[in-house]
Amino acid sequence: MVKVTMIARVTDGLPLAEGLDDGRDVPDIEYYKQQMKSLFKNLSKGQNDASRMSIESGPYVFHYIIEGHVCYLTMCDRAYPKKLAFQYLEDLKNEFERVNGSQIETAARPYAFIKFDTFIQKTKKLYQDTRTQRNIAKLNDELYEVHQIMTRNVQEVLGVGEKLDQVSQMSSRLTSETRLIADKARDLNRQALIRKWAPFAIVIGVVLLLFWVKTKIW
Amino acid sequence: MDSVLDSKALPRPLKGDVEPTIHWDIYPMNCDPRYLQLTTSCIPNSQSLLSRWHLPLGAVVCPLAEAPVGEEVPIVNFVSTGIIRCRRCRTYVNPYVTFTDGGRKWRCNICAFLNDVPGDYFAHLDATGRRIDLDQRPELTKGSVEFVAPTEYMARPPMPPLYFFLIDVSISSVRSGMLGAVAETIKSCLDDLPGFPRTQIGFITFDSMIHFYNMKSTLTQPQMMVVSDVDDVFVPLPDDLLVNLSESRRVVETFLDSLPSMFQDTMNVESAFGPALKAAFMVMNKLGGKLMIFLNTLPSLGVGRLRLRGSDTHVYGTDKEQALRVAEDTFYKQMAADFTKYQIAVNIYAFSDKYTDIASLGTISKYSGGQVYYYPSFLSAVHQDKLKHEFARDLTRETAWEALLRIRCGKGVRFTSYHGNFMQRSTDLLALPAVDCDKAFAMQLCLEETLLTIQTVYFQVALLYTSSSGERRIRVHTAAAPVVADLGEMYRHADTGAIVSLICRIAIEKTLNSKLEDARNAVQLRIVKALREYRNLYAVQHRLAGRIIYPESLKYLPLYGLSLCKSIPLCGGNADALLDDRCAVGSTMMILPIKRLLKLLYPSLVRIDTYLLKASLKDDELEEIGERLPLTLQSLDSRGLYVFDDGFRFVIWIGRLLSSDIAKNLNIDFAADLSKVNLFESENEMSKRLVRLLKKFRESDPSYYQLCYFVRQVDHAIAPPSPEKCIICRRYFEHKYEQAR
Repeated sequence: MVKVTMIARVTDGLPLAEGLDDGRDVPDIEYYKQQMKSLFKNLSKGQNDASRMSIESGPYVFHYIIEGHVCYLTMCDRAYPKKLAFQYLEDLKNEFERVNGSQIETAARPYAFIKFDTFIQKTKKLYQDTRTQRNIAKLNDELYEVHQIMTRNVQEVLGVGEKLDQVSQMSSRLTSETRLIADKARDLNRQALIRKWAPFAIVIGVVLLLFWVKTKIW
Repeated sequence: MDSVLDSKALPRPLKGDVEPTIHWDIYPMNCDPRYLQLTTSCIPNSQSLLSRWHLPLGAVVCPLAEAPVGEEVPIVNFVSTGIIRCRRCRTYVNPYVTFTDGGRKWRCNICAFLNDVPGDYFAHLDATGRRIDLDQRPELTKGSVEFVAPTEYMARPPMPPLYFFLIDVSISSVRSGMLGAVAETIKSCLDDLPGFPRTQIGFITFDSMIHFYNMKSTLTQPQMMVVSDVDDVFVPLPDDLLVNLSESRRVVETFLDSLPSMFQDTMNVESAFGPALKAAFMVMNKLGGKLMIFLNTLPSLGVGRLRLRGSDTHVYGTDKEQALRVAEDTFYKQMAADFTKYQIAVNIYAFSDKYTDIASLGTISKYSGGQVYYYPSFLSAVHQDKLKHEFARDLTRETAWEALLRIRCGKGVRFTSYHGNFMQRSTDLLALPAVDCDKAFAMQLCLEETLLTIQTVYFQVALLYTSSSGERRIRVHTAAAPVVADLGEMYRHADTGAIVSLICRIAIEKTLNSKLEDARNAVQLRIVKALREYRNLYAVQHRLAGRIIYPESLKYLPLYGLSLCKSIPLCGGNADALLDDRCAVGSTMMILPIKRLLKLLYPSLVRIDTYLLKASLKDDELEEIGERLPLTLQSLDSRGLYVFDDGFRFVIWIGRLLSSDIAKNLNIDFAADLSKVNLFESENEMSKRLVRLLKKFRESDPSYYQLCYFVRQVDHAIAPPSPEKCIICRRYFEHKYEQAR
């Protein structure tokens, strides 16, 4: 379940809006709100390496989106689907930019867009129950995609399996033929050697024969 | 005595209101006196001098007083530097700080500490030592200014305006028409409730059980849930009992339309008010807001039930009588403390014709910064206009939410006691869950050191609040007063209005722990001592034996003292005023700003029959009618028609010998019970003129609505005077009063 939502400007950490009556059933909510505020401070120092991130803290997770110099941060249960949390942040971001986009840079006082809290409240209620039709449909969309990819992967895996077979066949053929060739090459080598040295060997053999015959006669 | 006193020569505030005394010439940058008014603009420099000044030394603060157009408080936003405050005493920057060291440092006027000027706030000084950018800095030139508060001043994001209604639906509230009137007024004010589009709203009704209403925006009509176990109250739904008004507007309107008919056949006479109060608390404690309670019956069920104490008449005159004016059950004070902690302010509207123990109920409002509205014997046919007007004003006036009030003063003086409706959090911090333009607070000063060394004492009132638009702001009023060593100076610059305000609040508080007689004596003694002290200053020079001498600035003080002793909270003994009346008026007087209190104490009396009978009218005739007459029996001519206006009601006094065509034209039937007659406009010119005249009187101060009560001068031998007439006679007429000796 979405517990707390905060929206702040990234450049200086100025809070722009916060959910109404947030986190009332969370014990130690002040501790977590403090953590969220420190997160904003860190981001304002320019260390925002990722435009989307999930950060774990105790039994809760912080998810945020940074876009257009504004950071949309929410705290949810660990068990709450990440996909839904980011969908929620996307909805908030789109509405916030639509309504307040032009005034974000010039906002001078804290909670300048506190009027946005009614929209946060409404959207939070929509995303509250992970088992509602809407949310299940959203999750199912995602599941379908994953299913597609999974299917593809299996096919690819199967395809890869086939190719693998072929490859192994080919390689074993290759080895056996290479062996044959090696043998043949050895033979050829021998023959070449013989052919090269054969006349020499014959001449020397004849000379040696003549010398042996001479010594035999004398 | 009477021969010595020429009653016509006594001073009376007839030429308009008493104007406050201010030191405009020496301190032109002080805030306007409607925000902060001192009892005397000169502070004594020693304890011994203070002990000779027997009147209270203090101030009356009305931080959100309505300003006329063109004099609104300027708003300043310190974006880059943060709010400039003294590092040692945390005073806000104000027109009386001095800049030194070429503009790089500033000296606090309250603790004399030298602070650094932040780079973004720096400006050069000209030859006289003043900053060259003064005209762009309202916080350095105006005594009243408002700062936009950064996040450090917020414990939580700014709360939305929240209105919650707790309505009694027992048989008496339906029969008297209260339910219908309340529903109609709320419906007509829905567009004007401040804080659009974040405003939240909710309802609970109760009789012997508690009824909750689910106002979810997707429903076509509200769902009612009934909790009958009043000993263990629980909230049936976690959400949707408190809804956003703009989203659930249709459901709320359907609810209000059907509310009177829902309960029109009820036979329930019980009232489970205590449990209903707890239920309202459980719903509201997440966000805070304003709780408006409409009561018609003495709470009889569950925790917090009250018993009929008002009939204990034998305790009057004994030591036990003050207990009747104090809450018997600590439940209400405890609830008020809880309410304040969660930023809930409670206003009580009481309508019954029987005893409702306002003394106990009033404690909830008292400690949560709310107020009590009392409509005894409410009948919608007669009193509907008054309820509508005042309730609509309560809903739509500009309100400051989750507020804290702090007052700082220079070294050597200290504020000791505070009087009004608030929860005191520490020696100088008042918690006000919801404060508005009609509330004023009084406080008393004392000197900490035996001798003050400083020349000027500075006062600064700071109200940190959330506006209805969701901005966190700090309203700061600053004033300066010179320190003097001369008692005469203090008398010369005394302000009657503030002194009367303080004396009145102190006296009403005294009635909570001592007898009425003691409270009245204390008031008289104080004034007598003050005047005697004044006399000692000057008697030697003037050799005036047997005559009162009084300072010009305090000439109306004895008169107001007399009126205070005759006012409803303090007058007479048991039979002179109903207990509930005393408590209700007493609690109203504790919050009134100075002008309204003075008008309540000394109402205006205007003769109108000459105006009504005039053949033709010039256009500006209406403006001239306001000539006030002294409140003595001699002012009333039997042939005349008079209007008393004290800001809360009109009493139309009809002389015995009044010409009959006036009576005929105004449709006054003398045979009927005049207490139930309502004035309505008939077709003739005279009636129209009268209505226009009353309208003009009402518009001079829109905070309360005056209903008309008719009183006839009768011959006492023939018929006993009606209760209203007795009250009026006793209150409004000056009798001879004691010479102060």
